[in-house]
Amino acid sequence: MRIRRLFKWTRFGIFAVFGLIVLSTSILCIYTVDTELSAEYEVNTQNIAKTIADSSAGILLNQNLATLQSLVDQFLEVQGIRYIYITSETGEFLAHTFVPGIPEEILESEHSNTAPVERSLPGMGDFIEVGSPILAGVAGTVHVGMDLDVVALKIQRAIGQQVYLISVMLLIAVLASIWFVNLAAKPLGELLAYAVELAKDGENDELGERDILARDDEVGHLARLFLHVSRQGGGRGLPAGTSGTE
Amino acid sequence: MQCSLEPEASPDGKWGPLVTRKSLMRSGLAALLVAPFTASALVAGRGQESGGSEAESSDRAEGRGATDEEIVLGVSAAFSGPSRGLGTELYRGAMAYFNHVNENGGIEGRKVSLRLYDDGYQPDPCVQNTMRLMLEDKVFSLFGYVGTPTVTRVLPILKKFQDEKIFLFFPFTGAQPQREPPYGEFAFNLRASYNQETAGLVDNLVQIGRRRIAVFYQIDAYGRSGWAGVRAALDKHGERLAGEATYSRGEKFTGSMRKQVEILQGVSPDAVICIGAYAACAAFARDAVDLGLEVPIANLSFVGSENLLKLLTEGQDDAERYTRQLINSQVVPSYEDTSIPAVQEYRDLMARYDPQVPADLVQEEYAPFPHSFGSLEGFLNAKLMGEILRRLGPNPDRAGLEEAIFSIEDFDLGISERVSFGPDRRQGLQSVYHTVVEDGRFVPLDDWGARFG
Repeated sequence: MRIRRLFKWTRFGIFAVFGLIVLSTSILCIYTVDTELSAEYEVNTQNIAKTIADSSAGILLNQNLATLQSLVDQFLEVQGIRYIYITSETGEFLAHTFVPGIPEEILESEHSNTAPVERSLPGMGDFIEVGSPILAGVAGTVHVGMDLDVVALKIQRAIGQQVYLISVMLLIAVLASIWFVNLAAKPLGELLAYAVELAKDGENDELGERDILARDDEVGHLARLFLHVSRQGGGRGLPAGTSGTE
Repeated sequence: MQCSLEPEASPDGKWGPLVTRKSLMRSGLAALLVAPFTASALVAGRGQESGGSEAESSDRAEGRGATDEEIVLGVSAAFSGPSRGLGTELYRGAMAYFNHVNENGGIEGRKVSLRLYDDGYQPDPCVQNTMRLMLEDKVFSLFGYVGTPTVTRVLPILKKFQDEKIFLFFPFTGAQPQREPPYGEFAFNLRASYNQETAGLVDNLVQIGRRRIAVFYQIDAYGRSGWAGVRAALDKHGERLAGEATYSRGEKFTGSMRKQVEILQGVSPDAVICIGAYAACAAFARDAVDLGLEVPIANLSFVGSENLLKLLTEGQDDAERYTRQLINSQVVPSYEDTSIPAVQEYRDLMARYDPQVPADLVQEEYAPFPHSFGSLEGFLNAKLMGEILRRLGPNPDRAGLEEAIFSIEDFDLGISERVSFGPDRRQGLQSVYHTVVEDGRFVPLDDWGARFG
C-alpha cells in the first residue's frame, strides 16, 4: 500500500519552491546578462573605433589611403564588427568595407556624429554604430558597426547556458526530493498494511512475528503499539520498548 | 640571424563566446600591431624551391643569405584561388630568365633559385610565408610578391627586421605604401605605380570628354589605392568621382556583379575604371554589357589582361560585344612587339624553357599563356634582379644591396625606357601603355578619340 495523499502537498510544495527559485534566478540572469553584455559590446565597439581613430591620424595626414584601408580590413576580422567607415572632416568617405556599395542610409547620415546609434540597413541587418573623432574631429571620424544579431546571439547563448544549468539543477533536486519522500513513505505504507491486518485478524499469532516489529524507529514503535493495543483490547499500559514521549 | 618572434595573437584572432573589454581590445590591438608580425596565420602556404639545387639553410644562416652554390630569393604569391593566374604568369616570366642565367653558369658561379610559397592572394598566409622565408629559409631577398593587400601587410615585417637588410624586390603591385614613407625604403619597384596608371586613364578619358568617371573596385588596400589614384587624377581636372561600387576579394567569374552594375548605372557614368583582379573584373564587364551599361571599362595592369580576355571570350558566340569597350592599362610594352629587344629575348626564352609552376604548388588547373603582360613583367623583374646580383660581385652580401641597386643608372633593360635607381628613386620604370582588344588580343591604343570619343 502506498502513501500518496499524505505527501501530495509536500511534493507540490517542493515543485513550487524550486520553480520559484528557477524562475526568479532566470529572470535575474536574463536581465543581468542582457544589460551587462549589451553595454560591454557597445563599449568594446567604442574602444575599437577609438583605436582605429588614434591609429589612423598619421596615416590620414599622409593621405596613405591604401594603408588606411588595410588597417580597417584587419579590424573587420573582429567578431561582430560588420562594417567600418572613415569619413573626412568634409564628409567624404576615405575608407570603408561596404559591398556592393555604401548604403543610402549611411550616405545620408550625419558623419561627424559619434554617439551610438541603432541602424537597420536593408539586406545587411540591424547594427549599433558608434563613432570616434580623429584628431578631435578635424581629420575626420571613424564609424564602427556592430551586428546586433551577433550580439543578440551571444547574449542568448550566455543566458541559455545559465538557464540550462539552473533547470538541470531543478530537475535533479525535484527527482531527489521525490526519492526521499518515497523513501520515507514506504515504511509508513507497511505500517498501515500491518494495522489493517491487525484490525482484521488481531489474534493471529503470525502477526506478532513480523519484521516490522523489529524496527528500531518510530514505525517499529507504532507497530508494537498497534499489536499491544490489539492484543490488550483497549490500550491499558504500554508494551515493553515503547516510549510515550518519542 | 638573431631574432626572436613569438606569436602573440590567437591563430584566428577571433573572440570566444563571452568577450570582455580587455580581451576585445587585446584582439583589436593584436590585429593592428601584432598580426603583421605573427607567424600563426589562417592558411599555411606550401613551399617549393625551383631553379637550383636544394639550398643548405645552415650556410645561409650565417647572414649572407647566399651559399657558394646559389642565391635563393623568396617568393610568396598567388598560385591558387581565383587570382592564381597572376602569380603563375609572373613566376613563369621570371624563371625563363633565371633558367637562362643558371644554364650559362649562374651569377659569379652561383645559381639563382626561387623559394616559392603560395598565399592565394590572401594577407595572412602571405605574412606567414614571409616569416618563414626570412627566419627559416633565410633567403637572400624577397622577390616577385603579388598584390597590394598582401604586400601592405608584409612591409611592417621588413621594417621590424631592417637590420637584416632583407628587401622586397619588384612586387607585382603599383600601390603607394611600398613607394612612400614609412615603408618605402624597404622595397624596390620596377613597374609604374597605380597613381600613374589611373592618372593616364583619367587624363585620356577626360580629354575625349568622358568626365563622369565611376570606379568599380576590390574592397581592400589594392582597390583603395586605385580609388585614391582616380580620385586624385580627377581632382586635377576639377572633377569628382561620379560613383563607386565594390566587390570582395576572391570573387569568381561565375559570381554576379549585377548589383554593382546597377549602382553605377544609377550615376550615369561616361566611363568606369575597374581596380580588381581578372575574375571579378571580367564578371563586371560581362554584366555591364548584359545590363546595357555601354561605356568604356578600363582596367589596371594588375588585372591580368589575358585571363580577363579569356574569361570574356571563351565559349562566347559574340565575344566582341563584351570586349569592345575594354581599355587595359599596362606597365610593360606589348609582348607582340618583337622590334623591342627585351621582348624578343623574352619570347625566345619563354619558348625555350616554358617554365611551369612546381607541381606541389598546383592545386587547381591553370593553363598558362605562351606570352602575357604578366610573364613579360616577371621576365623584366628577373633581368634587373640578375643585374643587381651581378653588381654585388663575387661575395654577395645583403649589406651591399642598396649600393648595388643605387649604382644602376640609365640601365638598358632592352625596352625603350632606361632604368635608374637612387636613394630617392625606388621605382625603375615610369611608362604606362594603353591597350584595347582587337581580333581577340590586346593591341596598343593610339587614338582614344577615334575609339571612344
